[in-house]
Amino acid sequence: MDKREVALARVLLVDDDTAFLEATADLLGLLGHSVQTAASVAEAREKLAKGHFDRVFLDLMLPDGSGFHLLDHVDTERTRVTIITGHPAVKAQVMNLYGLNVNYLIKPLSLDQLQPLFEPAAAEADDDTALHFGELIGETPVMRDLYDIIERVAGTGANVMLLGESGVGKEMVARAIHNASGRSGPFLATNCGAFSSELIGSELFGHEKGAFTGALARRSGLFEEASGGTLFLDEITEMPLGLQTNLLRVLETRTVTPVGSTTAIAVDARVISATNRSEEELVEHRCMREDLYYRLAVFPLQVPALRERTDDIPLLVRWFLRGLNRENGTHFSVNDADLARLADYDWPGNVRELRHIVHRACIMTKTDAGELRFPERFGSPFSRSKQPEAAPTLVGRTIEDVERQLILETLSLYDNNKTRAAEVLGVSVKTLYNRLGAYEADNERSN
Amino acid sequence: MRDRIDRLVHDARGPLNTIVVNAELAQLLQRSGGNPERLQKALAAIVNESQRCNRILQDFRDELQRETPP
Repeated sequence: MDKREVALARVLLVDDDTAFLEATADLLGLLGHSVQTAASVAEAREKLAKGHFDRVFLDLMLPDGSGFHLLDHVDTERTRVTIITGHPAVKAQVMNLYGLNVNYLIKPLSLDQLQPLFEPAAAEADDDTALHFGELIGETPVMRDLYDIIERVAGTGANVMLLGESGVGKEMVARAIHNASGRSGPFLATNCGAFSSELIGSELFGHEKGAFTGALARRSGLFEEASGGTLFLDEITEMPLGLQTNLLRVLETRTVTPVGSTTAIAVDARVISATNRSEEELVEHRCMREDLYYRLAVFPLQVPALRERTDDIPLLVRWFLRGLNRENGTHFSVNDADLARLADYDWPGNVRELRHIVHRACIMTKTDAGELRFPERFGSPFSRSKQPEAAPTLVGRTIEDVERQLILETLSLYDNNKTRAAEVLGVSVKTLYNRLGAYEADNERSN
Repeated sequence: MRDRIDRLVHDARGPLNTIVVNAELAQLLQRSGGNPERLQKALAAIVNESQRCNRILQDFRDELQRETPP
């Protein structure tokens, strides 16, 4: 494969055995993947903070710590992690702690073991599942509209701001736009909320040696590294307002000045940003400069929530399940009744929550079972806490009835403290006692 | 003894791992007419790691012999 073509997968190899590291990097490179290496926890952490990887191969015994320490820095929902170990007992530990997104291989590795791990990264569609722009699944009208918009905006080079709830797949849409754009440079993603306000400037714009304590060498920022490609700024509203001024200048001048430098460097990165907030919330919470908004949102694009496209749920479930079956050697399927139940749920966590549910079902279902077992109820603690208590209806009830309920529930809330309840209700304690006496008399008459 | 054997297996897998990967790499390079210097480097790594593996096994045997009365 011509290595100048877009690589199949972005891979990070972490192992302190340099002979193994070099050979494996060359081997995967010959197969067309883009490979970076790290020989320590510190080096790997730095590379993980700087860019996204589709797959990480991770040795556990590293000179400055355990590979497990790195797993906390990896979004295992988006990055597949394979632990390479010489110790089979690791398997149970890995499964218990990290579920099915982290698998393991026992040394010695062979090409036959490595190659199947990349099949999802080759973006091959399975059977009847089309993978639009190499990233997106869905055939509902809202998704087809989205694909049309992506095709139109991709080639223009315009900065795009993606709006949508958490878990709808904004980064995947950003990648889709990049893939459709034909831009030759890389796609780099970063979360503006992941860095401290002191470090984010250096991450985005780079720094000169000695610019601050710990700046031991000159370092390129993400804008330089994404030049010719696409830079995805997730959670853009988490960027400190002070830094937004610097970002605005970069977008206006198309140059960056690294921290500690006086020389501007020309950059040519297309910026796609994303936020969970609505446009109204952007204004209300004043978390973004208005002038920056206009530069970033040359084309604002709403990514639909999963509840707007429930007909895509079967496609998504089958896609997730195929990947999980392939990785773990299982053969689970899902029945139509469960698909109908899944389509009925509201999905406040969107596609991410759906994947989580499928993933958990795979863990909870016995390996030799044919069909996945889903829980009786769907919903995460976060989704349940957002659901408001059903307000009791007042229409059709007498005033006495509503008053009685209000008094009794207020007493219950304050542990039958009549003084406190009377204060909250705005009546005297004597009035409260009179009401309670009347209710007791009513109860006795009824009995 | 079981722990020591487990450790031996774990330690031996390191060089074996490097041997296998370099062998696969050498095959790919040879088939694709790749960089001959890189091919030589892969073959040299196989030789070195085979010797390292042999040392690990030898050390284990020596350790057992020291502990076992003649």
